[in-house]
Amino acid sequence: MLHLCLRQKGALRSSTLRTYSTKPAGNVPIKLVAELRKLTEVSLSKAREALSASNNDVQAALEWLEKDASVSGAKKAAKLQGRDAKEGLIGTSVLSRGTGAGEGPVRGGVRGAMVELNCETDFVARNELFGKLLADISHTAAFISEHTSTSGDLSDVFQPLPIEVLQDAPLLSHTSTDSLRPAKQTISEAIQELVGKVGEKISLRRALTAVIPSERILAGSAYHLTSYAHGSIRIPGQGRISALLLSNLTGSHDKLNQLFSSQDTSKELFSIQHALARQAVGFPTLTIKPPSWNASEDELASALLAQQFMMYAPSNGANVAEFLQQWSKKHELVSEDMPLPLVPTALAKWTVGESDSAAVLSVLSKEAGAELLPSSTT
Amino acid sequence: MLRTQLTSTRAVARRLYSSRATQSLFVCARTAARSPAYPTHSSLFQKHGVNLVVRRGYADGPNKFDRSKPFMNIGTIGHVDHGKTTLTAAITKVLAEQGGAKFTDYAEIDKAPEEKARGITINSAHVEYESANRHYGHIDCPGHADYIKNMITGAASMDGAIIVVSATDGQMPQTREHLLLARQVGIKKLVVFINKVDMISDNEILDLVDMEIRDLLTTYNFDGENTPIIMGSALAALDGKNDDIGKTKILELIEACDQWLEVPPRDLDKPYLMPIEETYSISGRGTVACGRAERGTINKGDEVEIIGHGQRIKTTVTGIEMFRKELDRGEAGDNMGVLLRGIKRELIARGQVIAAPGTMKSAKKFLAQIYVLTKDEGGRYTPFTINYKPQLFMRTADTTVGLDWPEGTTDVESKMVMPGDNIEVVCELHNDLAADVGTRFTLREGGKTVGTGIVTKVLEYVQV
Repeated sequence: MLHLCLRQKGALRSSTLRTYSTKPAGNVPIKLVAELRKLTEVSLSKAREALSASNNDVQAALEWLEKDASVSGAKKAAKLQGRDAKEGLIGTSVLSRGTGAGEGPVRGGVRGAMVELNCETDFVARNELFGKLLADISHTAAFISEHTSTSGDLSDVFQPLPIEVLQDAPLLSHTSTDSLRPAKQTISEAIQELVGKVGEKISLRRALTAVIPSERILAGSAYHLTSYAHGSIRIPGQGRISALLLSNLTGSHDKLNQLFSSQDTSKELFSIQHALARQAVGFPTLTIKPPSWNASEDELASALLAQQFMMYAPSNGANVAEFLQQWSKKHELVSEDMPLPLVPTALAKWTVGESDSAAVLSVLSKEAGAELLPSSTT
Repeated sequence: MLRTQLTSTRAVARRLYSSRATQSLFVCARTAARSPAYPTHSSLFQKHGVNLVVRRGYADGPNKFDRSKPFMNIGTIGHVDHGKTTLTAAITKVLAEQGGAKFTDYAEIDKAPEEKARGITINSAHVEYESANRHYGHIDCPGHADYIKNMITGAASMDGAIIVVSATDGQMPQTREHLLLARQVGIKKLVVFINKVDMISDNEILDLVDMEIRDLLTTYNFDGENTPIIMGSALAALDGKNDDIGKTKILELIEACDQWLEVPPRDLDKPYLMPIEETYSISGRGTVACGRAERGTINKGDEVEIIGHGQRIKTTVTGIEMFRKELDRGEAGDNMGVLLRGIKRELIARGQVIAAPGTMKSAKKFLAQIYVLTKDEGGRYTPFTINYKPQLFMRTADTTVGLDWPEGTTDVESKMVMPGDNIEVVCELHNDLAADVGTRFTLREGGKTVGTGIVTKVLEYVQV
């Protein structure tokens, strides 16, 4: 296979040579090439081609490049198709955190996404252009997704977003305040443009979204979506291991209103939920709930509720389930049919380059009830 | 008379262990190069290609290590398609013709096998070659993380690097990341190889590549103006075609490395330093400190300082012993006992160092780059957060250390460190220790090695 690679390289070389020899050399001022490179970061040969195609007019060359980007990027991408892209980052975007996020009413919808974008080396993954593209893609994924859950208890909120759908979506900028402005390119075009610049295979591997419109949320129930990305280099919310975690808080309408109207409690809830996401990422978490509380040590260690809540200092060594119950008791939310009113209900956790089977997706169904707690505390 | 024999066997065992753990020829080679020089015999056969035949019959060619030349590690950094591997193969081919290398072809280098250094898995490919006046260990890693691990563990840390850029593309967005990496692993000087010049017919384009890369080098605090930039074609050199852009340029590149890159000082040439392993009191003579000299040389009658644990004691070496024999001079690598004038045994302890006066200071707080071992490597399986206090082992010393994020880190409360992470941390020692930039250490907790690191900047010395 390596020999094959070499031969391909050789072939590539001669074909490039041929293209060059057909072009009259020296009619493109080198200063303009330099200028164009500074503006766009395209490769040297591309910059020169653009200028000679547009009569050495930088502005026209920019437009030419824009048109050409996806074409030549696609060509380059096709060439790199057979290569491995196992590095990269996982980006998360939470557009709407849910209840308690704003000043508004208790009921609040949830909207977020998680996307994995791969490249060949971690050098490229560390580059600004890569991070920015991923941030835009995650933002777009969260923005365009629709609520598709059919189950009454919202247990299927985390839905995979087909890559084909995402690739054809217009790329929305995560920093732009005006998301309604018509997008310049689709996501696949933007990826191809970046391939043209960094010369590595870049591929969108998977995407997942979580959307709950506020009208689906019943009174007396509050949802909160949080994300954590570990190993972020430039942009927070992107990392090598990332998770989306949805948690649910149940209580009477008045009680919840009262809780969320206190800024301290709101803040506390937020930091608990954020700590839960961190806990899920940091520990070798595979599920939310252990198969049973008498399960083997390994199974308990990989269940979020059974882990010692080390990522939240005020837990004082309690495990996650115990701490959540203590908190709920303190706020007088615990009742007989609701032993654990504050509970993580869905978790998705990905690691860059892992196999499909290693991806974690765990959902808590409403029936779980009493099993959520170790027998001693119920 | 002194019980140095005991220490020496221990040290031998330790050395055996370390060479087994690293399993890298180059690590051993490097240590050896900086340790006492033995008379060489292979230099005779070194000069011309003709002698290859002789060498083949004599030993297995360039695998024989020649200590007469200074040794340094260099690496190639560049974009995947810009021809790093081809260049490496070309260098070995061209130098093999002169008897300075064993030709290693593309496929052999490209594998970048997994290897273990200090129990840590690193992907890197190694070759070695000799120029007229240097011996190079050449490293090529697939990713940023591997180069960093190499630096932290010291498996084959780079003393210099060749940045490879293709003339057709010019520098790319990730070239910045390449230069940042070079900075991060402590490389001060680079050589640039502009590859694939045969595909460019226009000299102006080559001028532009040259100009751009010099600009970028300057931006990242390298000497952009004076850095040698060689333009050639690694493939031509490998195929033996077009010697004026092939072979000649490879030789030029090697010469540029010889001229521009600086060989790190050998341990022997550095000021004397010996970590104390044990201390004894010998009636009628005084206190003896035993250990293995890390660097430098020591003569009977030299002034030294004992540093660490809040102390800086000046004294004189009145005797040196090794293997129960008295010596006038000891040097790096020796297991020795030094007799210290007027020092009570209670005054000094294991963990302190004996150093040439004024060359070492005791640090209380420093910045370090650490690698946290994964569970498979024998480390933790859970993350840790701020306020983590493992045990730090440095030379023969150990003390509790508090880890903290560097100043200016945002969102400190919610940050955590997971097994497998490479991070920069501030280490605050419970007991101060003699430490310098480049001093390596390990972090342990409950009998487990949880991490390994290297000091990158000392933030606070102890004033004594």
